[in-house]
Amino acid sequence: MSDNVDSYKMRVENLSMYYENFKALEDISLDFHREHITALIGPSGCGKSTLIRCLNRMNDIIEGSRVEGGITLDGVNIYDPGYDVISLRRRVGMVFQRPNPFPKSIYENVAYGPRLAGIKDREKLDSIVEESLKKAALWDEVKKNLRESGQRLSGGQQQRLCIARVIAVQPEVILFDEPCSAIDPISTQKIEDLMAELKKNYTIVIVTHNMQQAARVSDYTAFMLVQEQGEAGRIVEFGDTDTIFTKPSDKRTENYITGRFG
Amino acid sequence: MDSRRADRIATTVFWAVGLITLGILLFIILEIFGRGLITALSPSFFAGKPEAREAGGGIWPMIASSVYLAVLTMLISLPIAVGAAIYLAEFSREGRLNRFIRFCLDSLSTLPSIVFGIFGMTIFVIKFRWSYCLLAGACTLALLTLPILLRSTEESLRQVPLTYREASMSLGASRWTTVRKVVMPTAMPGIISGTILPVGRIMGEAAAIIYTTGLFVRTIPKSPFDPAAPLAGYIWYAQTEAMVPDYRRIVNGGAAMLLILVFLINFAARRLAKYYSKRKSLGG
Amino acid sequence: MARERYIKVLLFACASLSFLAILLIFLFIFRESLPAITKGGFPNLFLSATWDPDKGRYGMLAFLNGTILTTLGGLVLGAPLGIGTAIFLDQVAPRRMGNIIRRGVELLAGIPSVVIGWFGLTILVPFIARVTNSAGYGIGAASVVLAVMVLPTITTLSAETLRSLPPELKEASVSMGATRWQTIRGVLLPAGREGILVAVILGMGRAIGETMAVQMVVGNSRQLTFSLTRGTGTLTSRIVTDMGEATGVFRSALFAQALVLLILAMLLIISIRLITRQKER
Repeated sequence: MSDNVDSYKMRVENLSMYYENFKALEDISLDFHREHITALIGPSGCGKSTLIRCLNRMNDIIEGSRVEGGITLDGVNIYDPGYDVISLRRRVGMVFQRPNPFPKSIYENVAYGPRLAGIKDREKLDSIVEESLKKAALWDEVKKNLRESGQRLSGGQQQRLCIARVIAVQPEVILFDEPCSAIDPISTQKIEDLMAELKKNYTIVIVTHNMQQAARVSDYTAFMLVQEQGEAGRIVEFGDTDTIFTKPSDKRTENYITGRFG
Repeated sequence: MDSRRADRIATTVFWAVGLITLGILLFIILEIFGRGLITALSPSFFAGKPEAREAGGGIWPMIASSVYLAVLTMLISLPIAVGAAIYLAEFSREGRLNRFIRFCLDSLSTLPSIVFGIFGMTIFVIKFRWSYCLLAGACTLALLTLPILLRSTEESLRQVPLTYREASMSLGASRWTTVRKVVMPTAMPGIISGTILPVGRIMGEAAAIIYTTGLFVRTIPKSPFDPAAPLAGYIWYAQTEAMVPDYRRIVNGGAAMLLILVFLINFAARRLAKYYSKRKSLGG
Repeated sequence: MARERYIKVLLFACASLSFLAILLIFLFIFRESLPAITKGGFPNLFLSATWDPDKGRYGMLAFLNGTILTTLGGLVLGAPLGIGTAIFLDQVAPRRMGNIIRRGVELLAGIPSVVIGWFGLTILVPFIARVTNSAGYGIGAASVVLAVMVLPTITTLSAETLRSLPPELKEASVSMGATRWQTIRGVLLPAGREGILVAVILGMGRAIGETMAVQMVVGNSRQLTFSLTRGTGTLTSRIVTDMGEATGVFRSALFAQALVLLILAMLLIISIRLITRQKER
């Protein structure tokens, strides 16, 4: 594991997160390598979704949420006062657990992001839409029906549409929050293959409760846990995926991996 | 960046709009109360009798008429609304008949109140030969209130969990018994609190009653067949005919009093609704 | 059980009262308006602007015009304000301010028509008179009054529409770096389009049917006018002004105006049904 600071796209540094008085995350420290896939695994409720939502400050929406510590993107702390959250979210995109395409046409779904950035030129939008759908491995299936509603697609297709939508914004980091939990196995396979392609150009973080998926897809893995119900989530162990899954150093990690609990 | 500027401008606009709306309300309330509150609260006014030609009249019979009217209307309308709501929520199936009934209810609730007024006049006052009286007004208003009461009653009924009905019927109770002994008692708080708000609407209604109850009556009605002059109608009459020299004072005071009554009812309805929802969440 | 059936019939009777009521109202209004239609003739009644009961002329065009213009005026003022307030409540306002304004809108909805009319008469009309050097009555005053009356309806229904939109829509938009206004304009308003349209149409229905407040400020003259400050009349105001004394054909002509109101109301309901059915597709 390279310790060169420049190889980290994002770093979480002693992050603790609170909802009002409830502590959801405790002293998290983690590094995300450029153009690699890092997986967050752990049993339900361990805080992995909460953590990933800190990476693009989506938790800000919830009233009463606050953080201690920080997260840096290319060396700059995104929780600095005055940091431009809007541009953060354009650089760090997110794909959600349930596909959530807009009630618009396929074309307009993908074009939404570029339009936000002010791109109006028809030809430019056309090419961005086509390129994004291609990168999301959806182009061939929908290229004849771009005007149809995005909500008419199947679950797996919708999720790839959402991926295309995020790609169209040209982010640097893509966050996947349990992207396959609501989708059939065949589409899941397609999306996993997709991620392997995507990591060549993007830094990827994925939350998954499916250990096999984490083992298949990711380069690095972090295992999270809450000691007891109602306590804050912590990182138990973090390292490259092969090591974590074959020679974990922490007993709790081993128990989870071998299915003894969770 | 352009989109950020647009966002800031939009935020300012929305704040302005929200404050304007609030401002309109405050402005109206302040003006009406400013001009009439003192009059409204003076005993010689709210407890006094109206004058036909001289100054110094009061509105006590009008207030009484409004209250009687509201009570009578509810007595007529509530049973029908509850019956119909029970039918729609418990006994009927979603189908064409159901949709048709709802269509009729929607239509009823969109008709102008003056249409109810002249209909009421034609049927109750003239055809039934009741002449101007409280009952004619109450029947007319009952028609007007029916859709509103039905909607809120049905809503309360639907909020009763399906499992209660299932449990009751699986113990061998018939549908009606289930409704009577399980659903209704559970829904009752919601039904009651949904009944208070329309009372305010009834009291403020003028178009539907000026040609059914009467416009200027000096005495408190003693039977449903007596003519009556509810406050809303009287305010309009006093301002239109302007027969008495101090009609402005009367209308100012009457308007303020009407606002007080309506707001009190609104307040009571909210309180009741809050009280019952609190009891519900505590398992009451 | 026999008792059960008997009760079911009773309850059904209650429910069908709504149908009975609508039917009766329609029938009666139609029947009462027949004399005027047959005697005066369709064009004289509906297409003429000459309203002179003494001479047997009952053309209601001036009042139809008044109804249409005051309704439009009320919507032009009230709909943007209402929709804007709804957006403010749903997306912009901090919780406490939102609650205050919600309560305010509720109270506004409860203010009786005659009170708003009186407010219009004592404050609005003199103001307009001063500013435009006229009597102050007319379509202008009536439009403002109607705007105040439809505002709560449009606000409440639009806010409800926005509130019932799935939260994932906003979440997706925000996660892509959209500003609040971009999310409102690009995602929320388009998604809530039908509901907001229905809110406006219902507001329109309220405006068309509003009687007392309009009658007090519109001037109650018989001339057809497009001016904002010349007194005119609406269908509702005419009915309420004359009904007390009208007899015979005169009264029948007023019923004919009520018939027009009825038809307008039904048109609105049908269009709402069409819109909501379209959405379900």
